Amino acid sequence: MTVIGLITAGGDCPGLNAAIRAVTTRAVEAGARVVGFRDGWTGVMTNDFVLLDRDAVRGILARGGTILGTSRSDPYVHGSGVASLTPTLDEHGVDVVVVVGGDGTLRSAARLADEGLAVVGVPKTIDNDIPTTDVTFGFDTAVQIASDAIDRLTTTAEAHNRVMIVEVMGRTQGWIALYAGLSAGADVILIPEVPMSLDEAAHVIAERHAAGHHYSVVVVAEGFPSPDATELARDAFGFERLGGVAYSIAPVLERLTGFETRVTVLGHLQRGGTPTAFDRVLATRLGAAAGDAAVTGNTGVMVAARGTDIVTVPLSEAGAAIRGVDPALYDIARSFFG
Amino acid sequence: MRIGILTGGGDVPGLNPCIKAVVERVADHGHEVVGIRGGWAGVLNVNPDDPSTVDRWLLPLDRARVRTVDRTGGTFLHTSRTNPSKVGRDRVPDFLADRAQGDGPFDFTDHAKRVIESQRLDVLIAIGGDDTLSYAMRLHDEGVPVIAIPKTMDNDVHGTDYCIGFSTAVSRGVEFIHDLRTSTGSHERIAVVELFGRYSGETSLITGYLAGVDRAIIPEVPFDIDRLAELIMADKARNPSNYAMMTISEGAIIEGGEMSLSGEADAYGHRKLGGVGADVAGLLKRITGQGIILQSIAYLMRSGAPDSLDLMVATNYASMAADLAMEGASGRMVALRGGTYTNVPLSVTKEGVKRVDVDELYDAEQLRPKVRHVSGKPMFLY
Repeated sequence: MTVIGLITAGGDCPGLNAAIRAVTTRAVEAGARVVGFRDGWTGVMTNDFVLLDRDAVRGILARGGTILGTSRSDPYVHGSGVASLTPTLDEHGVDVVVVVGGDGTLRSAARLADEGLAVVGVPKTIDNDIPTTDVTFGFDTAVQIASDAIDRLTTTAEAHNRVMIVEVMGRTQGWIALYAGLSAGADVILIPEVPMSLDEAAHVIAERHAAGHHYSVVVVAEGFPSPDATELARDAFGFERLGGVAYSIAPVLERLTGFETRVTVLGHLQRGGTPTAFDRVLATRLGAAAGDAAVTGNTGVMVAARGTDIVTVPLSEAGAAIRGVDPALYDIARSFFG
Repeated sequence: MRIGILTGGGDVPGLNPCIKAVVERVADHGHEVVGIRGGWAGVLNVNPDDPSTVDRWLLPLDRARVRTVDRTGGTFLHTSRTNPSKVGRDRVPDFLADRAQGDGPFDFTDHAKRVIESQRLDVLIAIGGDDTLSYAMRLHDEGVPVIAIPKTMDNDVHGTDYCIGFSTAVSRGVEFIHDLRTSTGSHERIAVVELFGRYSGETSLITGYLAGVDRAIIPEVPFDIDRLAELIMADKARNPSNYAMMTISEGAIIEGGEMSLSGEADAYGHRKLGGVGADVAGLLKRITGQGIILQSIAYLMRSGAPDSLDLMVATNYASMAADLAMEGASGRMVALRGGTYTNVPLSVTKEGVKRVDVDELYDAEQLRPKVRHVSGKPMFLY
């Protein structure tokens, strides 16, 4: 009987439970046994596990987070690669490890595969920046949450004639910022991939106000370059405040435009809560495909969405550079600025 | 009869349906409503001798104009924190500049009265919190008929059990806290959720109470950071999912410290708050060594459409205020007292401050809500 080990690693994202449910259900249906390890690779290194069967994964489809827990622990940083995993895997007779994770996790998985471990990867990230798949689950939910928040904040910005800066996730790319900004009709969208100066942003806002629209909503990805490190807020103890680039942009835009400016950092709200229907279906399809790959011995691969299909691709492709937004889409968004 | 209506202070969900309900109520009796834009700033900035300022700051309202406004949050009349009796030099309209000698602030109440008279406004309906209503009281004292409607997401206007916006703010807070639980639990962290709430911790206290958080820090009770760290670590250890969740009001004070303030004071003497959540998150991280999720709910608490309770209260307050205005009353504030709709003298707002009854609702040792008695209390417990 095939034994499958299952972990979720990296930042949590809506849809992980749907994926756990799908991997488990599909594998059990095919006669396999599934061992879930807690808190990502930590659970494998410390033999912290839970047996998963059909009943163990009932009722979790709509829940955010991950019932297995997660961590950023890495077998190459916190252990010695495959050697630090084999004692536990051998004890359970694990034949294949299914790893649900983001960019970094999948790269480690590829390395483990090179070392001879049978691995199947499932891409997940709310950032949507994994190059080998057209879309990742968690992204749609994050965009929906951000879009709803921008809608709501727009009425507050309008009531007070203010500029509202909404900071969304995206450390190296602007997927959420661009999609949520497009969806909610943002007046300016600032993303790392496109060098828009704050002078230019201030100009758009000033023109909008001059035309009689006395409020603006700016969406910024957290990875947008900070304008001036000296303007970063510090806490009462002199430490740099946790929190984002929006706080350093706000005083600059306020100075350039003369308009009262406020900041909302959506932060972890984008990752919490229940996944959208789209993400539930996507996570279920990817999870089912990973379960199938594992039980048929198709390892060293990751499952991926390509067009309307779910396919498997070599894990080695996970090492490619992260995927930024399509500049053509930003150009469309730009038409609606101001 | 011509009725002027305005919204002042921070926006809350329920202002637009309130305005709409006033317009519809008085339209039945053939009266007119004029919306004053930007709160008391609208009154300040109208120059009776310049029709363009009248068009800019006054908006005639009829059924057609307000037909769809009740579906959204915010206030379509816009709002401000302007106080015409304390106008800073930079806020003085050009046409009043020659009357602003010295540094200010300046009292332009005589101008406000001239505007109200010249625009033939028989009565004003002011929707606002303590600050906005304090100027309504001033005008009433000077003989201008005024009816007040209390609103604030902090529910802190003295004299009424309920202010428009509170229920939606709490609902949003509870919803966001539960959303954060999956992330916090998945990573086994401590979540520090900062909520709006200046001098009174109602929003933080009631939100924390209803969301079942482990600890809720309120401005009324300065707290010891080491004690908090100890408690929250015990909470985390006790939680089978190994995480802990706490809320903190933006006005909270670390024992031996002071409020985290920034920027210049506004016309009512208030400065911007903010940052205590980040301070506490940083300190907890250093003391406990745990991963911290810091999330400020901030404007999201009061943005967006009202819930059904705020729709209900906003609509009913509007109907009562419209009736009082049409009866020729002045200096009254519509209110909920003991679960019943009523009205009270506006001066009641000055007779006390509405704050969390810490002894009744809070455990200062355990730093969390503790409701000692329920029977006999208003619906939201204070």
